[in-house]
Amino acid sequence: MSGPDAGPGTDPNAGPGSNPAFDPLVRAVAVSYRYGSGAPALDGVDLEGRPGEIVTLVGPNGAGKSTLLRLLAGDLAPDAGALHLPSRRSAAGRVATGYAGEEACHFESLSGTHNAVFFARAAGLGREEAEAAVREQFDLLGLGEDASRPVSTYSFGARRKLLLVEALAHRPTLTLLDEPFAGLDLDSREALADLLRERSAEGGTVMMASHDLDLLPQLADRIVFMHDARVVAGGSPDELLASMPDVARFEVTLAGSFDSTGLVRSEGTTLVDGGDPLILESERGQAALPEVCLALAAAGARIRRVVVKDAGLAAVFRSVTGAELDG
Amino acid sequence: MTAIVWELEWRIATARKRLFVLNVVVPLLLVVPVAAGAAPAVHAAAVYTVLFAIFSTFGSAIPLVRDGESGLSGRVLRAGVAPASYFLQRTAAGAVIDVLQLGPALAVAAVGAGAGPRAFLLVLVVLAATVWVANLLGVLVAAATRSLAEAALFAAVSTLLLLHASGVFRTPVPESFGAALESVAPFRVLHEALLSVSLMTPVRGGTALGVWCVVMAVVTWVLAGRLTGSLRVSRRS
Repeated sequence: MSGPDAGPGTDPNAGPGSNPAFDPLVRAVAVSYRYGSGAPALDGVDLEGRPGEIVTLVGPNGAGKSTLLRLLAGDLAPDAGALHLPSRRSAAGRVATGYAGEEACHFESLSGTHNAVFFARAAGLGREEAEAAVREQFDLLGLGEDASRPVSTYSFGARRKLLLVEALAHRPTLTLLDEPFAGLDLDSREALADLLRERSAEGGTVMMASHDLDLLPQLADRIVFMHDARVVAGGSPDELLASMPDVARFEVTLAGSFDSTGLVRSEGTTLVDGGDPLILESERGQAALPEVCLALAAAGARIRRVVVKDAGLAAVFRSVTGAELDG
Repeated sequence: MTAIVWELEWRIATARKRLFVLNVVVPLLLVVPVAAGAAPAVHAAAVYTVLFAIFSTFGSAIPLVRDGESGLSGRVLRAGVAPASYFLQRTAAGAVIDVLQLGPALAVAAVGAGAGPRAFLLVLVVLAATVWVANLLGVLVAAATRSLAEAALFAAVSTLLLLHASGVFRTPVPESFGAALESVAPFRVLHEALLSVSLMTPVRGGTALGVWCVVMAVVTWVLAGRLTGSLRVSRRS
């Protein structure tokens, strides 16, 4: 079920966290969608998520990640293809899906607690059960002190946290999150990651879009690259990173300003970011460090510090698509 | 499904105290000069009927469109609230809140016309039934529009047409087509009830208003899934 440019030789729907013994909880088959008469937002996308799996969609803005999540959440209907989704409600009467999209809209005049309890009750929890679940998650995500304040007084981060609580409080079987780590402080990011691992350990499927490449290798069972409305590659973080074992990343901090346009790059070395720090990657690994430093010095750069790292997911994405993740 | 939307609407109404007070004060400001100005009963009744009908239709349609545009309605429906339950609970709460907010203005109108407690009670019951219909009309208007401006336009046009059909703007001509239309139009009873407090004329058409209450609720219930089509997805997408 891989896309047309699939690779690095992996099936986007296979990974160590995905146990083929279980039927997928959610599956998109050749799904296409376009907004109005514009270019396709999704073009023949195949994707599945199995119980106990955390699947992360990675791609630049406009790749189709959010649209795919909205389709899976039932917010949009596909123009073509088929979606196989879990039953709307479980036998216990709870809504199976929890979705936190890009828009953090709430009932502004009500407190965070009243908002979250309303959504938890709408999803099938009783009043007391909803209040207990919301209280627990507010404490986990560091929202406890804001609980009784009207949402109109909330910061961006607090609104994002509230949206996550509203999506997660009823312990959905299928959790769909669009950039869940955006706007969160470090403690809350860790708490949310733990919460998602817990959902996965309980047999739930977590599917999210994220640009948080530092966190994903530790969190995601499977990463799916999307580009130009298609799924182009996928696999476990280890598989993806192992596909580029020799690539090294150099983060160079410079003293003073530097115009990177005059920088002569040796073969196999790519200037990823001309900002501060300057980021270069080389397919020849750490051995390219002396050349990189010499080239920088020849171009007039005054080097203060160089940090050498392994190639990240951004490099893998670039090698598959030829495009930048942030592009 | 428990009455969580009904509860939510009350919570919002009580949390937004300034808006609640404004919704009491503004109708009063419009009604007091008419009641105190010795306007002829037919003119006063027409003004009150227009005010109460438009107040309720707008009050239902505009927030619904706004919540659709912000994505809030979509979130509520996606969260598990059934469309029919969402519309009817919301409308029921809206209608009761409208009665509370319009009650003081109605009392001024009735006292100004010299109504006794019994006549006031009758017109209050008629008002409650009428704002229920007007609120449901607002739901249909909201579902048929694509912006707040359209909602305001459609709400005004549909309410004014129904007010005209209800005979609010014309002298009745017995046994005419207009009279036949009037007998089944939704705002006729409120108009006649408001006239009756000063002219002691009979209030007819109670059955027709009852039918409107039920039919509009059933239509909303049956069409609820389709009505959400334009409200479910944020229009900013």
